[in-house]
Amino acid sequence: MNTDSRRYVIVIFFIVVAVIYGTRLFYMQVIDESWTLRAQEIAEKRVLIVPPRGIVKDRNGKKIVVNKTYYNLMMVEKNIKNFDTVAFAKLIGWTPERVKYRFKEIVHDEGYDKDPVTKKRTVPRYQKMRAYAFVKEMTTDEMHAIAPYLVKFPGFYEEITSMRSYPYANAANILGYVSEVNAEEVAADRFYRSGDNIGRAGIERFYESDLRGRKGIHYVVTSAMNNAIKPYANGKYDTTALQGPVLNLSVDIELQAYGEKLMQNKRGCIVAIEPSTGEILSMVSAPTFDPNLFVGRRSTSANYPRLSLDPAKPLYPRPLQAEYPPGSIFKLLQSVIALQEGVIDVNTGFPCNKSLVGCHNHPNARNIMEAVQMSCNPYYYQAVRRVIQGGRKKGLYADAEAGLELWSKYMHSFGLGHALETDIPGVRGGLIPDPNYYDNLFPSKKRPYGHHRWAFSTIRSISIGQGEVKVTPLQMANIAALIANRGWFYTPHLVKSVGKKGPLPIYKKKNYSMAKAVHFDPIIEGMRRVVNENGGTARRARIQDIVVCGKTGTAQNPQGEDHSVFIAFAPMDNPKIAISVYVENAGAGGSWAAPIASLIIEKYLTNKITDPEKEKRILEANLLNVVKKGK
Amino acid sequence: MSRNQSLTSNVDWGLLIVFFLMLIMGVANVYSVAYNEEAPNIFDFSQKYGKQILWVGFSLFLGLLVFLIDSDIYRKFAIPIYLFCIVLLIVVLGMPAKNGAHAWLGIGSLGIQPAEFAKIGTAIALGSYINSVNVKQQNVTTVLLANAIMLIPMVLILLQPDAGSFLVFTSFLFVMYREGLTYDPIILKLVNQIPGIKFKSTWLGSHFIPILFVVVFLSVITLLMSNNVLTFEFWPGLEIPGFIGVILTLIIISLVSYVILRWISARRDKRRVTFIVLIGFLMASLISTSVNFGFQGLASHQKERIELFLGLREDPDVDDYNRNRAMAAVGSGGLSGKGYRNASLSSVESNHVPESETDFIFCPLAEEWGFFGSIVVVVLFLFMLLRIVAIAERQKSRFTRVYAYSVAMIIFIHFAVNIGMNIGFAPVIGIPLPFFSYGGSSMMSFSMMMFILLKLDSQRNTVLS
Repeated sequence: MNTDSRRYVIVIFFIVVAVIYGTRLFYMQVIDESWTLRAQEIAEKRVLIVPPRGIVKDRNGKKIVVNKTYYNLMMVEKNIKNFDTVAFAKLIGWTPERVKYRFKEIVHDEGYDKDPVTKKRTVPRYQKMRAYAFVKEMTTDEMHAIAPYLVKFPGFYEEITSMRSYPYANAANILGYVSEVNAEEVAADRFYRSGDNIGRAGIERFYESDLRGRKGIHYVVTSAMNNAIKPYANGKYDTTALQGPVLNLSVDIELQAYGEKLMQNKRGCIVAIEPSTGEILSMVSAPTFDPNLFVGRRSTSANYPRLSLDPAKPLYPRPLQAEYPPGSIFKLLQSVIALQEGVIDVNTGFPCNKSLVGCHNHPNARNIMEAVQMSCNPYYYQAVRRVIQGGRKKGLYADAEAGLELWSKYMHSFGLGHALETDIPGVRGGLIPDPNYYDNLFPSKKRPYGHHRWAFSTIRSISIGQGEVKVTPLQMANIAALIANRGWFYTPHLVKSVGKKGPLPIYKKKNYSMAKAVHFDPIIEGMRRVVNENGGTARRARIQDIVVCGKTGTAQNPQGEDHSVFIAFAPMDNPKIAISVYVENAGAGGSWAAPIASLIIEKYLTNKITDPEKEKRILEANLLNVVKKGK
Repeated sequence: MSRNQSLTSNVDWGLLIVFFLMLIMGVANVYSVAYNEEAPNIFDFSQKYGKQILWVGFSLFLGLLVFLIDSDIYRKFAIPIYLFCIVLLIVVLGMPAKNGAHAWLGIGSLGIQPAEFAKIGTAIALGSYINSVNVKQQNVTTVLLANAIMLIPMVLILLQPDAGSFLVFTSFLFVMYREGLTYDPIILKLVNQIPGIKFKSTWLGSHFIPILFVVVFLSVITLLMSNNVLTFEFWPGLEIPGFIGVILTLIIISLVSYVILRWISARRDKRRVTFIVLIGFLMASLISTSVNFGFQGLASHQKERIELFLGLREDPDVDDYNRNRAMAAVGSGGLSGKGYRNASLSSVESNHVPESETDFIFCPLAEEWGFFGSIVVVVLFLFMLLRIVAIAERQKSRFTRVYAYSVAMIIFIHFAVNIGMNIGFAPVIGIPLPFFSYGGSSMMSFSMMMFILLKLDSQRNTVLS
């Protein structure tokens, strides 16, 4: 038998297999994309690089919010081998039980998905391949102590992270704080991943989209152990992380610190604004707290309950949210409206008729300057009645309605009755009553006065800044700025510039009030007299060589002692600072609020205090416990 | 026999060049896959590439020795060589197991796998035996004896156990087939028992071996492709069930092989080629169809067992891990690859493809060089195999011919199974890719195999028997 031809069987076999393999390789490598996708799934990873948050500087370039390095002790369960719970617990200074509990906690914190079969939320989102922070926010010292021993615990490694730090322990109410995002925030904004930080309050929250910066995306080749080995395609597709821009605040941190010091052991606020720009120089909320208390989870959870339960409410942002009756400072605006409406002129005088409304003993005001200087209640009762009951409509009630309508428009044009668009969350608007308010809402929604059922006599207390009128300290400071500018203001704001960009566009727009500039001059003269002439109510606000214009207020408070109120600006010509000071339950405006304001003004304008006695008196005063009226 | 011939006269340069090309590509590939940034020198002997260069050097030294020794020695000492190999295979069973198999002989990291060298010993012994048998006198005894020469080392290897090497030894079935030592005598003996039947030969008995291989090969491919959970995306956007994909693939392969065969065959054979390809296609389709539908008809537990063996049932991230990763690596290479030392899946550092420097060495090559690189390797192997067949067929000595066919078939099985498991055409069986895989034993045994062949061939004119 000749078997030579069998060589062809073998040759064909070789050729056919080679052709099959060649075809298959061509199909797998050139035509079919699915293996490429599979390879990407296996070996390529998108790594998000979270940049440190943008830092914050004060108006003089001092860093007031910076980032400090911390460490997370990370864990990848898949890589954990021969885990010695006791030794590990000893290393990190925990009990073994706490270590075991922490494992369960991590799984639990990730949440659960619905099981497609049982429809119950039983499938954990936790993945053994993924890295989780086992211990968060360790300081450099804490991490250095354990880092050399981590090699004994495969699956655990250190990860560098950054957290906020506040070199000045001030301005907590302005700065706000950051904390980890929750599940809803992750779901709402694709930017965030579990473990990221988000601004929670203050400018941290308002400027969150700037401060958080831009995350970088690095594509890396990973090993089977899920470690990154090298950049994918030499980093061709990577984007770099960009730290958020520097936020330049208008706040002067030294002034802020001084204000907080003056307000120690008191409840109330100081708001100082630069009238020519609307920049907020200082915004003190007393009592306050050290912003460093809210850095990191451990510190926050230790301090938050204590501060939130404090009866003095240190977490309450008073300058933005406390809606106080303005008291006599309101008379400044009433004067301007009356002058603008022509119901009085500069030289109009009214007798101090105490049968209309109570007043202190003083000579009759012969003109508007004296009315401001002496803060005569009956004067304003009569002047405002002329505004409200202006004879615009027939009938007492319809006339009052038209008058109040006009009056409330004036007040709105002064930045009252609605929230100012200041760049911080939680700004409240106070209250300026309008006809609708008395028709439908006051005294209660259920039983309001009703349409055409009220007239000036019903609502007369608004003429002296009492009753239904509510104004926040921020609005009061803005009134001071408005008067200093003689009729216009820039919306008060906290941020001068975001990186190289200037303030937000709305802060470059002048807001004109409905009153002409000329009508402010007599008011300002009156304010000068309040401080600088005998018979004025704010002699304690006097400063050597600086002409301070101010107005005191003593806001009646049904709950306790009167609030001490003072607004001012200085110097009289070319004003540099406008200020409001509100001290709760401190009595007359001239006694506490006025000297505090003058100290701030002097500090800001000259950076020194000429009257140490005045300062000492304020610093030593404890007005926290004066709640009930002494009478 | 002229002793004054130079060492290089009558050497088959074609085969030698392909051999050296593969060695160079192999070392370059090991350097790429096992590259260590801290030891970038390719001659750093603490690294796998350094060691591989040592092995290549040592193998070439062995080759030089082989060339210095008269090839008569293999004929004369065929039996002692074979027995020595058998002894080694027995001794190795007493050695401590490494990775679950008693396959390594030696101390520490320096060790050899006797199974690698047993291939040479068996080839020599088989050549020697077949050389002594007159084909025309083939009978049950000669068939059984030839099979015994093959089966003894196979059984010993199965005891290690080493399924890969066991599979490689089936190469000798083809060699025996080529030499006419088929199972025909046994089948005749059985068939002719039936009264009234007196066959001289049966077609099935004579061609049992290649038919068996074709059936097994096609069955495995059919099952792997048609039972895939995914539909078979024949062309982007055109998704078709797996089985139709198999048939379409067969049509394409038939057309491609038809063109190639028409091109290489002599003019008088051209019509035969048409016939053979057509018959081959019909047979293959028939087998695929029956395997496919036969498989569908199996009971579920039987199906499950087959699927488990083929690695079809598993979660790609757990049980079918190796093959899935390997295929992803190969498939992601694209047309021109990711670039030298740029394998993202199959580098040792990334370690997604396990054993990527040994059993899965084809992965980094395909991933880094793409289809161009892969097809070069396939073509080089095909060239080598056809070259060896051509060498075999020009021998006067039947010993050398048997030996040459043994070498061709051994390399072929290694090639087919190794690359097959990288492209999803074979279950994962751990055998190296000749001249490419990292490792001393396979490098030395394949080189020696090659040099002995070259030496035998170079002395083809001086040998009579």
